[in-house]
Amino acid sequence: MTTFDLFLQQAINGLSLGAMYALLALGFTLVYGILELINFSHFNVFMVGSFIALWTLQQFGLFGQETILVGLPLAGVLLVTFTVTMLATGVIGVGIERFLLRPLRDVKGPAAMITTIGVSYILFNIILLTVGADSKNFPNPLPPLQIAIGGAVLRLREVLIWIIATLLMLALTFFVQRTKLGRAMRATAQDPEAARMMGVEVDRVIMTAFFLGSALAGASGLIFGLYYNFTSFLIGFNAGLRGFTAAVLGGIGNVPGAMLGGLIIGLVEAFGGQLIGSAWADVIIFAILVLVLVFRPAGLLGRLAPNRS
Amino acid sequence: MKILPALRRRFAAIPAARRRQLGLLLLTVAVLAFPFVHDNDADIDSMANAAAYAMLALGLNIVVGFAGLLDLGYAAFFAIGAYFYGVFTSFQVMPLWSEGWAPLAALGLVEKMSQGGPELVHFTLSFWLALPVAALVAAGFGVLFGAPTLRLRGDYLAIVTLGFGEIVPIVARNVDSVTNGAAGLNGVQAPKLFGWSFGIDAMPYYYVSIGLVALLIFVSIRLRDSRIGRAWMAIREDEVAASTMGVHLVRLKLLAFATGAAFAGLTGVFYVAKLQTATPEMFGFPVSTMVLVMVVLGGMGSVWGVVLGAAVLQLLQSWFLPDLTAWTHAFGELVGNAWLQRVDFVESVELIFGIILVVMMLFRRDGLIPATRKTPALSFAAQNVAGVQRGGFVGLERIGRWRNGSGNALEVRGVTVRFGGLIALNKVFLTVPAGGVVAVIGPNGSGKSTLFNAITGLVPAQEGSIHFEGAEILGLKPHAILARGVARTFQNIRLFPNLTVLENVLIGQHARLTTGPVGAVLRLPRTRAEEAAATRRAHDIIALFGNRLAPRAGQTVSGLSYANRRRVEVARALATRPRILLLDEPTAGMNPAETLELAEQIKSLNGLGLTILLIEHKLDVVTRLADTVVVLDHGEKITEGKPDEVRRNEEVLRAYLGRAVREAIHV
Repeated sequence: MTTFDLFLQQAINGLSLGAMYALLALGFTLVYGILELINFSHFNVFMVGSFIALWTLQQFGLFGQETILVGLPLAGVLLVTFTVTMLATGVIGVGIERFLLRPLRDVKGPAAMITTIGVSYILFNIILLTVGADSKNFPNPLPPLQIAIGGAVLRLREVLIWIIATLLMLALTFFVQRTKLGRAMRATAQDPEAARMMGVEVDRVIMTAFFLGSALAGASGLIFGLYYNFTSFLIGFNAGLRGFTAAVLGGIGNVPGAMLGGLIIGLVEAFGGQLIGSAWADVIIFAILVLVLVFRPAGLLGRLAPNRS
Repeated sequence: MKILPALRRRFAAIPAARRRQLGLLLLTVAVLAFPFVHDNDADIDSMANAAAYAMLALGLNIVVGFAGLLDLGYAAFFAIGAYFYGVFTSFQVMPLWSEGWAPLAALGLVEKMSQGGPELVHFTLSFWLALPVAALVAAGFGVLFGAPTLRLRGDYLAIVTLGFGEIVPIVARNVDSVTNGAAGLNGVQAPKLFGWSFGIDAMPYYYVSIGLVALLIFVSIRLRDSRIGRAWMAIREDEVAASTMGVHLVRLKLLAFATGAAFAGLTGVFYVAKLQTATPEMFGFPVSTMVLVMVVLGGMGSVWGVVLGAAVLQLLQSWFLPDLTAWTHAFGELVGNAWLQRVDFVESVELIFGIILVVMMLFRRDGLIPATRKTPALSFAAQNVAGVQRGGFVGLERIGRWRNGSGNALEVRGVTVRFGGLIALNKVFLTVPAGGVVAVIGPNGSGKSTLFNAITGLVPAQEGSIHFEGAEILGLKPHAILARGVARTFQNIRLFPNLTVLENVLIGQHARLTTGPVGAVLRLPRTRAEEAAATRRAHDIIALFGNRLAPRAGQTVSGLSYANRRRVEVARALATRPRILLLDEPTAGMNPAETLELAEQIKSLNGLGLTILLIEHKLDVVTRLADTVVVLDHGEKITEGKPDEVRRNEEVLRAYLGRAVREAIHV
């Protein structure tokens, strides 16, 4: 492989990782934008999502990488799996908000954040105790189509991941920009009190933010499985830290920012892993987080969280 | 059956302080006697582990409980202390011997050895020396990690510390030459006392751990009950208010971080000396979380609470869950249930941690032993213990006169403040003569509070200068401005809600006291005298308000009435020994009688020579108090003059009342 091929291959890898992190970052940004809460449960809602996807695929009789689907059956299986996964994680997110976080909404201090850490730990250990510590083979029904661009290889799965992630992000952008509930969401992010007085049902808006964010985390978990061909109870931590870093990098509370941040973090991981060694990828990502927070806390596109003094 | 109530009555009859001493004595005896009563090496070892975790919990309690900084990577400092001792007592790092090492060899820190090859240096750092040194090293790392991050908002700090907590084990895993990577350090030296090695027997470690826990409890309590601890709690309660009361935010946050790190470094030395090995897995995220669970369970900010939390969780893991598993297996065998024979509760301990975090946050946020006790409201009789006086201050002579310079105390010259495109203040000029009272009035949104925020350093001004007693204060940090003698109150009351009236007023004196962390722990006579004087002065200031505040000195301010909270804010500002007092709508929300009373009190303060700048809406208050009235509208000064002149000024009427009303008046 020439240097250029290597560059191209890492760009392809980086964009796929970036799509995954962008979807994850959106969940952090939606919730932070409204509640100013770092939702640590998001880390493992993502992980649970990949297991729900795994089980759904298994319902179709898909287990390893042997069974290949094409055409309509493939589209159908993917559609059902994405829908089921996203609905399930969305419901988990809403449940967390409704029963564990809403009672703490008016409590000052770190209580809500500590609760999300606890929830994250509970999800993590439920999966560990029921599924076990070994990583699970993730079914991949995609035909092994690939095209060679020089020495680099572009596989069908990467193209598919890009398409799905783009569609989801377009749908979210449409929702936030064009629908009544989306407008209410933006208003609440600006000033919850004023929004409430204008008749916005803040509870419903917050619930929607949790639902959408968690559903996107579920989609991201499914993409993780498709991309890496495995899943495990451990995957939430690293992916979550990257997703959060992406949200901060783009400007927390900022929806397009989360998408941009996700892509950048994905590319940084791909190229950084190539150049410095993957053992240090965490350190690089984390260094970015600290540098952004210290020198440009508003991120690349500007922070859009409520101004509460 | 009648013995118990009788005993309880006996016990209740003992004074509270004596009861505490008695409890402490019993606890000490029980803890010291434990290995003799229960001679089981594994159980004594579990207790020593529990003590190690109690030490960590005490350290994290300073960061999270006292200062309110959520640190999710606390185990990093534990690792630093552990590897410090591990590396300097094992055979991992062995530089070539040269004569330069000779002085260290003479001190017993290194020894020369050769394994058939060239002569090498073997580090043999003493355990007892390693304890304080590792604490200092960890504290140094605390400052290093904290310096860039402690300026961040609290919630960002959580995620950044999470990252630091993740990086330290990664470094330990990948820098093989120093740490032996994932395999871990081996052959770490056991502590020695007068030539006798502790070896692997649990007993000596148990007593060392008990000694260290006692030391850290002592240090925690001394710090908590000092100027330093009060400042930490002020930061936890309200950062902005703390900085305007003279608390240097960055310095005190760093101090909390470093102190917590020092506790962890110390614990790391102990833990590794006991295990005689160190692997990266011993210091990962699960450890940080476990210590956080201990603090949350015991009660954030509660010294005894977190020790209890650590003991409960550690013993849950090493005693209760294995026993429960064994019982369940036996029960499963009895009823022939395969699942019951397989289930292992020890594995689910982290699930239990998660559940503890959630349940405690939802139902008992103050933990098992809350740091602050809820005080009941006062009875009518208790309220009247202090001298009843309405309409003025009681015992004003006790707080002394203010000495003023001549000329102008405060000069605001052409100050402009912009928020993005909004001009909140536009080239405002204002002077307050020494010993005078100036009132600022204006409609809502006219920039009055912004003016106060600019003077006290809370918002930056883009243009102009602000001189206080001849020196520029624009650009100084709020705590530095307070130190010059500019104190303020807030329009929307910013007290430290979970602290008592007395503590709030004591924090006001922060900048006028000098006790540092070392002084707080040692509590030498000088510190004692300073504390006593500060407390006396705080009581004198509280007593100014007669029976309004004096009987409530020990109550948390969150339970006080609105008017009393306003009074506490004035008291807190007075405690800073201000040379000028900025009052932002001090009578807002008060009824006419209360308003009159406070106006009277402000007047008497001015009578003692205190310079006052006042924002006020109630014109009768303004007329009664002010020598000069400045009127702001849309960020501009529209007029200035004597209260009576300003009342008749056309522009003022227009700004306040609108055109129609003005015409109606003029008819």
